[in-house]
Amino acid sequence: MVSYTSRYSNNILKSLLPWIISTLILIILPFIFTGGGSVTIMNQIGITIVMAMSYNMLLGQGGMLSFGHAVYMGLGGFIAVHIMNFVEDGLWLPLPLLPLVGGLVGLGMATIVGSFSTRKAGVVFAMISLGIGELLAASCIVITAFFGGEEGVSGDRTWAPPTFGIEFITQIEVYYLIAFWVLISIFLMYLFTQTPVGKMANAVRDNPERAEFVGYSMRWVRYVSFCGAGFFAGIAGALFAINFEILTEENLSMGMSFNILLATYIGGIGFFIGPVIGAVGFTLLQTVLGLQTDLWALYTGVIFILTVMYAPSGFTGIVTMHYVPWQLGKIHLLFKPYAKILVPALIFVAGLTSLIELTNHVRHHSQETSITLYWITFESNTIIPWIVLLAMTLGGFYVCRVFAKEVVDAWGEANYVEKG
Amino acid sequence: MDLFIINFLDGLIYGLLLFMLSSGLTLIFSMMGVLNLAHSAFFMLGAYFAYQISLYLGFWVGLLVAPPIVTVLGALVERYGLRQVHQYGHVPELIFTFGLYFVIEELVQYIWGKNFVEYRAPESLDFVAFTLAGGSIQAYKVFMLLCSVAIFLGLYYVLARTRVGMIIQASLSYPKTVESLGHNVPLVFMGVFGVGTGLAGIAGVIAGPTLQTYPGMAFALGSIVFVCVVVGGLGSLFGAFVASLIIGWMKTFAAAYNVGAAEILIYFGFEYPDNVYYHPWRDLWTLTLPQIGPLLPYLLLVLILIFRPYGLFGRRDA
Amino acid sequence: MTLEALKIDNVTKSFSGTEIIRGLNLSVGKNERHAVIGPNGAGKSTCYNLITGRYEVTSGKIFLHGEDITNLSPYEVKRKGLSRSFQITNIFPKMSVFENVRCSLLWSMNYKYSFWHLLGSQKELNDRAEKIIVELNLAERKNTLAGVLSYAEQRALEIGITIAGGSEVILLDEPTAGMSVSETEYIVGLIRKVTEGKTLVVVEHDMGVVFDLADRISVLVYGEIIATGSPQEVKDNQAVQEAYLGAALEEEH
Repeated sequence: MVSYTSRYSNNILKSLLPWIISTLILIILPFIFTGGGSVTIMNQIGITIVMAMSYNMLLGQGGMLSFGHAVYMGLGGFIAVHIMNFVEDGLWLPLPLLPLVGGLVGLGMATIVGSFSTRKAGVVFAMISLGIGELLAASCIVITAFFGGEEGVSGDRTWAPPTFGIEFITQIEVYYLIAFWVLISIFLMYLFTQTPVGKMANAVRDNPERAEFVGYSMRWVRYVSFCGAGFFAGIAGALFAINFEILTEENLSMGMSFNILLATYIGGIGFFIGPVIGAVGFTLLQTVLGLQTDLWALYTGVIFILTVMYAPSGFTGIVTMHYVPWQLGKIHLLFKPYAKILVPALIFVAGLTSLIELTNHVRHHSQETSITLYWITFESNTIIPWIVLLAMTLGGFYVCRVFAKEVVDAWGEANYVEKG
Repeated sequence: MDLFIINFLDGLIYGLLLFMLSSGLTLIFSMMGVLNLAHSAFFMLGAYFAYQISLYLGFWVGLLVAPPIVTVLGALVERYGLRQVHQYGHVPELIFTFGLYFVIEELVQYIWGKNFVEYRAPESLDFVAFTLAGGSIQAYKVFMLLCSVAIFLGLYYVLARTRVGMIIQASLSYPKTVESLGHNVPLVFMGVFGVGTGLAGIAGVIAGPTLQTYPGMAFALGSIVFVCVVVGGLGSLFGAFVASLIIGWMKTFAAAYNVGAAEILIYFGFEYPDNVYYHPWRDLWTLTLPQIGPLLPYLLLVLILIFRPYGLFGRRDA
Repeated sequence: MTLEALKIDNVTKSFSGTEIIRGLNLSVGKNERHAVIGPNGAGKSTCYNLITGRYEVTSGKIFLHGEDITNLSPYEVKRKGLSRSFQITNIFPKMSVFENVRCSLLWSMNYKYSFWHLLGSQKELNDRAEKIIVELNLAERKNTLAGVLSYAEQRALEIGITIAGGSEVILLDEPTAGMSVSETEYIVGLIRKVTEGKTLVVVEHDMGVVFDLADRISVLVYGEIIATGSPQEVKDNQAVQEAYLGAALEEEH
């Protein structure tokens, strides 16, 4: 009996460990990344994480492909900004509770839309989500009293009454507010996957018909997931409102919905943790790469398409694929081929992107001939760089193809289980 | 009455243009079960290719050459992209085409820039064909009308009268049976995807000069085309036709008749507020029909999906 | 008077004008093991689909323990205590064996659409799922994804999902189709074990299995029951001999 209790408490400790570690990481992150703008980026990452996780409740866990998830985030955000403005006029609501209100708005909207959209999954669901998304995005311009027309609605978070003396003036204070809600949201979403309806959501995703034959209405199971996803999207929206203090029609647009899909998918929809990785990766691409080139969206789109084609379980899937070789103790077989292909692959990517950038430079900034790519500055109106880059691209590609065979062979070898 | 006729014609032209897109989309969907979300991107490519060609060789060469290029491009996308994704199921296919749409949009911006390009109707068609009560119809619009009608007659002929059409029609309903009869269904898929996107390409070539050629043109038309296909009933060509015309007329008539909500509200006995711009219901009072015109297709879509999820002419089991 | 566990009263079903089921009558007593046999295309699977609400009946009534269940949706039928398996394996491929079985238990243990219970701490639920997995002989495969099980294991899991909810009436659709002799023995033994004290209806082509399992047999040909009775009566029935059994029995020799 004693051993049972101690094992039980051990288990609790073990299951809480990842959460304690995550909390600690979130607390110390700002002390590690102190560079200018890194807190801003981390805030953005946090918001994207909540959003991507909420999206994965639909797509990864429930099998519902939505093209309009931005709606729930956007509405939560718009209401949050309006409330911030009401707070200005004397409404009492501490800022840290605002995400809860945003969540309830998202939940409310999802309750309405879900009542008819969850009847079917697949194309019909996708089309309803698209229709609702477009409908709201288009009404932004018409209903100016609420959406503020083209310039959107802005507010000021510092007008809210101070919470324990904190007024949320600096980015770092906002960071901890976001981090708190990120943790809470992820924790709740994790708990959801461990509940009866959360598990049935997986079952309905896998085989909706059989789920009905074990006693569950697929529609109701989807509906519950859908409402949950709406709730967390609303939280993300309110966090967005707190962080940026402005919402525009862009927050409801197709582009926004696409970004969420992209982040979630690149991370890996089959894994609970996938969207977190996707959100971090996507936001870094968006902010860091976005500073370097105006073609970042093109690159991100290409990465996305390649993911859909060749790594349908996303980045997390690629990593977990290596679990089997690791378990077999053969992971070392992969090191050399990987290292070998990495070099030509990097040369190929550098060459190709430089060619693209160079072309873009020549076409759109023809007055300026000097260009800096990968820390190297050169003249774009001479022929030499073109030849070098072309050679890099083609050569890198060719060598990659040669080495690819080795990687494939090594992969087969590393996954081979000896019989007997 | 004359205004009505003008708008009727305008709506018809727009509707037929939509049908050129939605017919290709329907063909692809009913063959492959894929709703090609990148369809309007191919439409845009058609316009841009034709523009590029017209710079050197004139409009007419562009009209002839651009659609085949789009067709080949579509076939290549099917062969080297979609077919790879097919094994994972329909949802990844849908996601793939969605991603493709954004990449094509980005590529177009990369190649041709973010602004409008000067893609114009040929001078030989730059005159007023006829006028009706102050409204005029450009010859180019008549040309558009004739073109789309010609394409539909051609499409109808191919589908209804030729052997290839028979195979396609059979594949629409029974792809597995057709495959077991020894027809190369992957090839048929590639062909249908190519032709479907090619139809979108033609639509782009023809519509480019009137709707303007810019990177947002795919977005402006894209979602409307899905509305047509879904409202008509996924997989139903006739449904797509009817829905395209309905939406075409909806758009032009909503834009043409400036009915304001204020008139209706006053008619029902409400009092016009003194300072409308500060009134809480200001958006309702200043609402006009042209304003909500762009909303109507989506409203129709959502209503149809709620009350008739299979669309106007869709099969129940599809 | 005891009520029949399952009663099908003059049911017909047409698909776009063609009548597939033409006036089907069948009654299965409580705790009876009833086999439905018939040539391919006789309408056996359609009959199951009608009972479980997958298809709507064109006319007629279906009763479960005397209660009208005609045209209820599949989940309502299941909640009333009727559960079925499928001819083509129909499991939750991306979930583990344990989760497959646990999901099938949820409704009957009254969890409904709960998002306030944590499955990990539901001791009774988990114990019952474990017990069923042991009964299915799948204990070693407990944490394996259902999609990667062998065919026989998937068939066993299919039966496990069907019986897990504790339904009173179990409908099995060709449980031994495509199996080797030893696998068939395993499945038949399993069926015997897990349907103890329940009403069983089984569609089956393997006559050995049918005569082994069934108390009574109905013969379905072209959408009609042409004979019902004990195995011996059915064997001796002239019409059955001609229509179906003759050929099958000859095959066996």
